[in-house]
Amino acid sequence: MDSFKMELSRSVKRYDFHPIQRMLYSQDLIRISPFLKRFIKYPVCIVQPESDEEVLATLEISRRFKIPVVPRGAATSAYGGATTLKNCMVIDFSRMNSFEIKNGCAVAESGVVWLDLEKELNKAGYALRVYPTSAPASTVGGWIAQGGYGVGSLRYGDIGKNVEWIEVADFDGVKRVKGNELKYYVGLFGTTGLILRACLKLRENREPSNYAVKCSFKESLNLIEGAYHASYMNRSLSKMVGCGDAESLLLSFEDQKSDLDFDVELGNKIWKRRFYLLKAAKNANIIFTEAVLPYETVSEFYQKVGNLAIKAIFTQDCVVMLGILPERGYYSTALKVVKFIKMAEKHGGRAYATGMLFPHKKILDEDIRDYKKAVDPENLLNPGKAMQSNAISKLIRLAEMIP
Amino acid sequence: MNIQEIAARCSRCGYCNVCPTYRVEGWESVSPRGKIQIALSFLNGNIKIDARTVKDIFKCSVCGLCEEVCPIDLPLIDFWEELRYVMSKNGYAPLSVHKKLKEITYRYFNPYSGDQDRRDEWVNFEIKPSKTLYFAGCTASFKLQNLAKATANALNKLGIEFTIAGRNEYCCGSPFLRTGQKDIFEKLFERNLRYWERAGIERIITSCPGCYRTISRDYPRIAEEKGQEFNIEVVHTVSILERMGRFEEVEKKVKGTYHDPCHLGRHMGMYDEPRNVIRKLGIEFVEMERTKEYSLCCGAGGGLRSQFKEISFEIGKQRVLEAMETGAEYLITCCPFCEYHLSKSAEKLGNKIKVVDLVEIAEKLISP
Ligand SMILES: Cc1cc2nc3c(=O)[nH]c(=O)nc-3n(C[C@H](O)[C@H](O)[C@H](O)COP(=O)(O)OP(=O)(O)OC[C@H]3O[C@@H](n4cnc5c(N)ncnc54)[C@H](O)[C@@H]3O)c2cc1C
Ligand code: SF4
Repeated sequence: MDSFKMELSRSVKRYDFHPIQRMLYSQDLIRISPFLKRFIKYPVCIVQPESDEEVLATLEISRRFKIPVVPRGAATSAYGGATTLKNCMVIDFSRMNSFEIKNGCAVAESGVVWLDLEKELNKAGYALRVYPTSAPASTVGGWIAQGGYGVGSLRYGDIGKNVEWIEVADFDGVKRVKGNELKYYVGLFGTTGLILRACLKLRENREPSNYAVKCSFKESLNLIEGAYHASYMNRSLSKMVGCGDAESLLLSFEDQKSDLDFDVELGNKIWKRRFYLLKAAKNANIIFTEAVLPYETVSEFYQKVGNLAIKAIFTQDCVVMLGILPERGYYSTALKVVKFIKMAEKHGGRAYATGMLFPHKKILDEDIRDYKKAVDPENLLNPGKAMQSNAISKLIRLAEMIP
Repeated sequence: MNIQEIAARCSRCGYCNVCPTYRVEGWESVSPRGKIQIALSFLNGNIKIDARTVKDIFKCSVCGLCEEVCPIDLPLIDFWEELRYVMSKNGYAPLSVHKKLKEITYRYFNPYSGDQDRRDEWVNFEIKPSKTLYFAGCTASFKLQNLAKATANALNKLGIEFTIAGRNEYCCGSPFLRTGQKDIFEKLFERNLRYWERAGIERIITSCPGCYRTISRDYPRIAEEKGQEFNIEVVHTVSILERMGRFEEVEKKVKGTYHDPCHLGRHMGMYDEPRNVIRKLGIEFVEMERTKEYSLCCGAGGGLRSQFKEISFEIGKQRVLEAMETGAEYLITCCPFCEYHLSKSAEKLGNKIKVVDLVEIAEKLISP
């Protein structure tokens, strides 16, 4: 341990071995029950690299001492990707947070917070094409590593479609990845490499025009065409987040529309609150469940789960369905989470992401395991995630068997 | 909700990562989210804390920005103050400088070691009895006497009768309440209240947002806890200026920006009054990027400046730079403590912007 510490102190400026810090960096957004906490191991230390060189040096130490690394952005992903399951080093990317605009794209380091980036881009006349609704906290590297849809995904698709290239570090050094190769990193939770920076596609900054439409879920499907962003909240969620007491579809257009006779005031209100879904947790703790559904079956699915508080995010090729469950008993709520996803699968859908919770879900391409073996033969990059099972995911599999 | 319940409600979303001290320090243990997790584990008896962790908990100016952005509206300002109190009660706090300030205040009734007999040294007028009291506060009485003088002049010009408590004015206790030292806070409360009752005070005017928040929000609460009456109206000078002031415009066109003191803005919700006064003075007014509810703290409050100078000046400099970006010649504020800290921060950046208190400019321009 002493030589490990010495090596680390020689190689990076910012690191911490303090037990409380280790406790804090062992967890992310998901709540772990006292029973499940036994599967969590505090990291050995936390490293906050400030340059590519420091990331590479940390990887070299990881390789030499056989201590895995767990990358971390803002720890807002709800799939446990940044939760530590083994003796490991947490690599917190928050200090790599500079960016520049280059040839109409934003080249942003991993630790850049989405909303900070958006604000700076707006000043220069640009805007992000897509960003997650956790943008006030979450980071560029974290969202790319989780993968997913967000604001703007109706027009522009998922985050993977909106990166020109990324630069990743692994045990062989730094490489630039683009095109089809991106699939080995987007949504892989840092199990194949550490994202250092991303070149993000941008759009012209135009204030969106927002409208709310009170309509049924089925009707909403016929109204979203042409919008750049669209989401739907059912009645109980609208109430929980303080956006009226009716179901409402939010339609946001990149251009000003003058021919739509919808509710502008409510539309603007929902838009302004787009980052504030957690208002639903104001009166009681909640747990999210998520699934991706094809457009063809989503209405049927909605009918089955519509008794929950529901948000739907419409995207280019699918609908993301978010269920909000009040936490009444940890395990019974967890079972509902699992049921929601099973129901989605019955309707041709799938879990939203893998992370620590659902590595057994067949979301990733078949060849990804081989890729992982090639780039990380000693399994040091975020082990037990994305495609590798762990004690918690095994329990989830058991829960899935409950009819 | 008690603090344990508040901590248990935190969703760990990290929206409070806007915290100015976290942004400087960068470690989770200094972020509001991290501190809440520490508090929760500590209160549940799951962890022991050491001196370093206690220090991290106190790396906070209690500016309240975290409360503003928290999606589930956790009452975080109260949470930090209560947590600091719990730390003190359990012997983990006060931190060294905070304790020293308490000792000084026990002796001098102010944290600056100022001679209590000379508290009203700045007074250049005859003190008459009145039911309205101008409570200058420690900073204006001992450090920035021009502010005390300007406030008194303004009140005189507006025809407001008032009195001064002189050696019977004691620190309001704000620095101690914010750093978990309720014992001395309660003593100061009692002393002040006793005098006010004796003098028949019905209204208090303050020029310091810290005193304003403490006397208008914390005193009634503590009085209620103690089963005492507290029927005194408390006003900040700037709201009097806005309501009653008619002003001449500044002679030369100048550009000014405004820094919201946390105790006046986020803690008390007073945002428009100072801006209205600035506009009435004919100053070309420009907003900084972060304003009103989302304003960046000056970095001095909550015992941060006294205990953690480097962090405090780092934040102060960030705020001054933000003000400079607007192209303003004047950084106007409404708080002696912010003025003091921001002008020292501006000094470190080469004095490229002048830091002034609004009352000091406005007083000179009140129309007869
Ligand atoms: C209120 C709220 C709203 C949300 N909205 C959305 C949404 O609209 N869409 C959506 O998809 N998700 C959403 N999320 C989930 C989450 O916020 C996003 O996935 C987010 O972008 C994760 O970013 P992060 O910085 O917090 O990453 P973290 O949670 O820190 O990390 C996520 C994963 O990426 C890995 N990782 C982190 N940094 C790197 C790196 N540099 N290189 C390699 N791997 C890395 C981590 O190990 C982990 O496995 C939301 C969450 C909340 C709380
Ligand atoms: S913003 Fe509120 S809920 Fe979110 S981490 Fe901070 S304190 Fe917790």
